[in-house]
Amino acid sequence: MSNAIDVEALREAYLNEVFDEVEVTLDAEETAAYAASCGEVSPCFTDPSDPDFQAPPTLPASIHPSRQRPKGFPKVVGLGMDAGKAVHCHRPIRPGVKLTAKTHMHDIYTKTGRSGRMVFFVNRMEIFDPEGQLLASADTSSVVRERPEE
Amino acid sequence: MTVNRITDVEFGDTLPVFDPDTRLANVARFVKTAHWNGPRFTDHEAARAEGLPGALVPGIMSQGFLAAMIHRWAPKAEILYVDTVFRAPVIVDQPCHINGVVTDIDEATGEVEIDLTVTNDAGETRVFGTARAKLPN
Repeated sequence: MSNAIDVEALREAYLNEVFDEVEVTLDAEETAAYAASCGEVSPCFTDPSDPDFQAPPTLPASIHPSRQRPKGFPKVVGLGMDAGKAVHCHRPIRPGVKLTAKTHMHDIYTKTGRSGRMVFFVNRMEIFDPEGQLLASADTSSVVRERPEE
Repeated sequence: MTVNRITDVEFGDTLPVFDPDTRLANVARFVKTAHWNGPRFTDHEAARAEGLPGALVPGIMSQGFLAAMIHRWAPKAEILYVDTVFRAPVIVDQPCHINGVVTDIDEATGEVEIDLTVTNDAGETRVFGTARAKLPN
């Protein structure tokens, strides 16, 4: 029996449908500590009393969805790994504001190398403020190396 | 050296190297604030028991190092985009170095593109990425 992932079928069935929504409110002190531990030195990231205090730009990548795959998504056989993260920043994210994070599958694609085919899954989380303005999006890429046919 | 406006930047400029704090105490502080707490990040023995070479610096922390490096170089930079590829683990308590080079400049929009790497003392690239940032005109 083939273990090959039918990428076109998965794309057709699952791309661009929001499958997860979580609400998050960032704590100011935690946000400042997050920034400082990364090496940020500007008070707008490290001092909650700064008038322009905001989350550091890469913080959206740390927000967890409540699930990683849409309901009904087939179990993928192979060795899975975290492949990367990308953050698009649109507007500052302010601690203390209730945020809504919506996640969809943004892309599924393949690369083939000497060790076989690798399938990449890209989840995109979009973060909105209470007015519905898009503040940031965070892409999480995971890769599965397919097991060779027996 | 820091830059304050787009006209201060030249194509091919190398950003000052940033050596972030990868010590266990700092990584533990980070994962607590990020709500990513787990022994693979804070306990070398537990990480080795999972088959890892030691406790890991989370990828999101390496990405944070890249953004911090840009802000240290250009304190007024507004980061628009950071893309990172995790090529190999960054290990807690092992020094690493953040390197960046300007690969594109658009003076009309004030935007620069920067190629970024995280390397270890052996000169091995562990993480690489690209960022776009906007500077005042």
